Amino acid sequence: MPITPMEVYKLLPKTNCRKCGEPTCMSFAFKVINREKNIEECTPLFEDDRYSRQRDELLKLLEPLKEATETGLIVTEDLCVGCANCIVVCPVHAAEDPYGSAAGSGPKIEDPIFRLEDGVLKVINMTKCRRYGKNRILCVACRENCPSDAIRFLEG
Amino acid sequence: MICTGCSCLCDDIVVDGGVRNACRRGAGIFRFVNEGRAKPMINGEVVDFEKAMDAAGDIIGNSEKLAVYGLDTTTVEAQQKAIELAKTKEAYIDDNSSFCLGDFVELILKEELPTTTLDEVRNNAYVVFYWGTDVYHSLSRHMSRFTYYPRGGKRQRGYEEDRFLVVVDVRRSHTAKLAKKNARFIEVGDDLELIDAILKVLDGKAPEKFAKDAVRIVKEMQKADFNVIIGGLGLKYGLKGDYQQFLEFVRRVNEVTNLYFIPAGCHPNMRGFNQLLFEKTGHVNRYSFRDEEAGEKFAFPKLLEDGEIDAALIVGTDPVNSLPFDIAKKLKDIKTILIDPRQSLTAEIADVVLPSAISGLETGGTMIRIDGVKVELAPFLEKKPDDVSIISSLLEAV
Amino acid sequence: MGLKFAKFIRKIETEVVVARDSFQVEAADRGKLSEEFVKKSAVLYITEEFGKKNALREGEIVKVTRGGRSVNLRVVYNDTAPSEGAMMPNSIYANYLTDFDSFKRFRVTIEIADGNVTTPSEIIELIKSG
Repeated sequence: MPITPMEVYKLLPKTNCRKCGEPTCMSFAFKVINREKNIEECTPLFEDDRYSRQRDELLKLLEPLKEATETGLIVTEDLCVGCANCIVVCPVHAAEDPYGSAAGSGPKIEDPIFRLEDGVLKVINMTKCRRYGKNRILCVACRENCPSDAIRFLEG
Repeated sequence: MICTGCSCLCDDIVVDGGVRNACRRGAGIFRFVNEGRAKPMINGEVVDFEKAMDAAGDIIGNSEKLAVYGLDTTTVEAQQKAIELAKTKEAYIDDNSSFCLGDFVELILKEELPTTTLDEVRNNAYVVFYWGTDVYHSLSRHMSRFTYYPRGGKRQRGYEEDRFLVVVDVRRSHTAKLAKKNARFIEVGDDLELIDAILKVLDGKAPEKFAKDAVRIVKEMQKADFNVIIGGLGLKYGLKGDYQQFLEFVRRVNEVTNLYFIPAGCHPNMRGFNQLLFEKTGHVNRYSFRDEEAGEKFAFPKLLEDGEIDAALIVGTDPVNSLPFDIAKKLKDIKTILIDPRQSLTAEIADVVLPSAISGLETGGTMIRIDGVKVELAPFLEKKPDDVSIISSLLEAV
Repeated sequence: MGLKFAKFIRKIETEVVVARDSFQVEAADRGKLSEEFVKKSAVLYITEEFGKKNALREGEIVKVTRGGRSVNLRVVYNDTAPSEGAMMPNSIYANYLTDFDSFKRFRVTIEIADGNVTTPSEIIELIKSG
């Protein structure tokens, strides 16, 4: 299930105290989901016992962030049959690996974004993904062509 | 390396500590190569291989009405030996295609159904039908390697612009879920109704059912000079034996554009068996060397059902798992020899079990991909005996 | 009491489609007498909607009968099952119920059962005993 900034915001202190360096708790919530900020940077949440229940709930909510890659991609290997649709549709692969994954084969480049290993999708090099870094594009080509929901993104 | 998990015969597999590029099913064949392996057995007791071979030789020697059956997961070389054995014994020979997609392969080999190769599909196809087959599960890399997703030849712009996907099924399968943009999923109860609707559109009439879909599909097919149907068991059983109606449909579509057909068979070398037997006898399956003809009554399940055989040599298939119970239970009425790399359910009831090497992984040879393309296997292990050596020895003993 | 009573009268007649399942085939390759094969094969897939409509809960054991023969299967919700009916992977279980006249699509009755799923060995014993 995707995590929305609103869900995170609701569990924050909502005091806009700026201790995290953000002007508002809402903008902090956005950055937590995009992994530009760690939840621990909200110091009142961890120091003030009033927030302990919210804190526990929030940590549970943010659990998937740990398994997600830098781009918010989550692969559930148990759901993957290894169809490689995601690998072949990937626009970065199409451009950089014309004779490999672009043409339907296994990737011929050394550092593809992902490839099939032991029958399931494995992330190899996330930095190539269009979703990576500051000027990211929220591309969802891989997820759109995964019919079993083995691929998800944090934002949905 | 070549993966012999299914009829895609993927040729880009790398085995290097792990297994790269293979799908779940394919990788499993490599990863668990030593799991669930068969042992030589006589009447359920583990024995020396030689002893099991002798017992198998005796059964074949004493059999007056032998059937050779299976062969879809072995090499063309082993199929060749099996056909020789069947010929020598004036036996019946059949594979799974008699209740799988053999009818379609026969129509292709007799040139009644226009066909093409999967590589041509990758380079040219616009409308791609998956009809009665959930390839996401049965041939997992089919769509990404050959048909809808890859770029190639005239189709460089990717699936969203350069392909049109049509999935026809009785349920919303995983493959059907992929029919999104530039695609249609058609949920049918009766496949013949869809064929009828498309024929009506070609006649310039308005069909009662599937009107919108049929019009769109015909329009899309006419946009290109290359369209293909990948047809599976759902289509076979959906036609209810009415191949003429299907051939008529393909013929009529081919008057206005080009439409080809490729079966979506699962067994890695079913096409190899069909082609080989066709070359030798003019028939693709259910052949009697005694009668020198083929027919429904010589289909292995039918022979069993009718009590027409006294022994069966079963190669690389598991009829106890895959045949209807009323037929499978008749295996107990005859002598059975099973040649298989793995301990199957049929091994539980077979009189003799002969374990063999896994084709493609432990022994080489040739297989014919479902579209007729010849593939040389590249084993990464060496194991003997294999199907060729076992069947050759049995042939010598006869 | 009401529930208990419903349990005995509840008998659903519907159509089963036989389909391929990559996970089940993977398990079959590793050994058809394995727990994993049974887990992936002795299954009746239905949509959650169909389950709710017919009071079939996920995880429940059901007796699936056709032509006097029955197997016990576990109900699993799956959104690729037919909207009206059920789906079974291709295996000894489906083939215990089917025949060539309706090989991949057949009508069955479904009722709640006690106990566990049928094992391949139980069916094989029936073959062995003739």
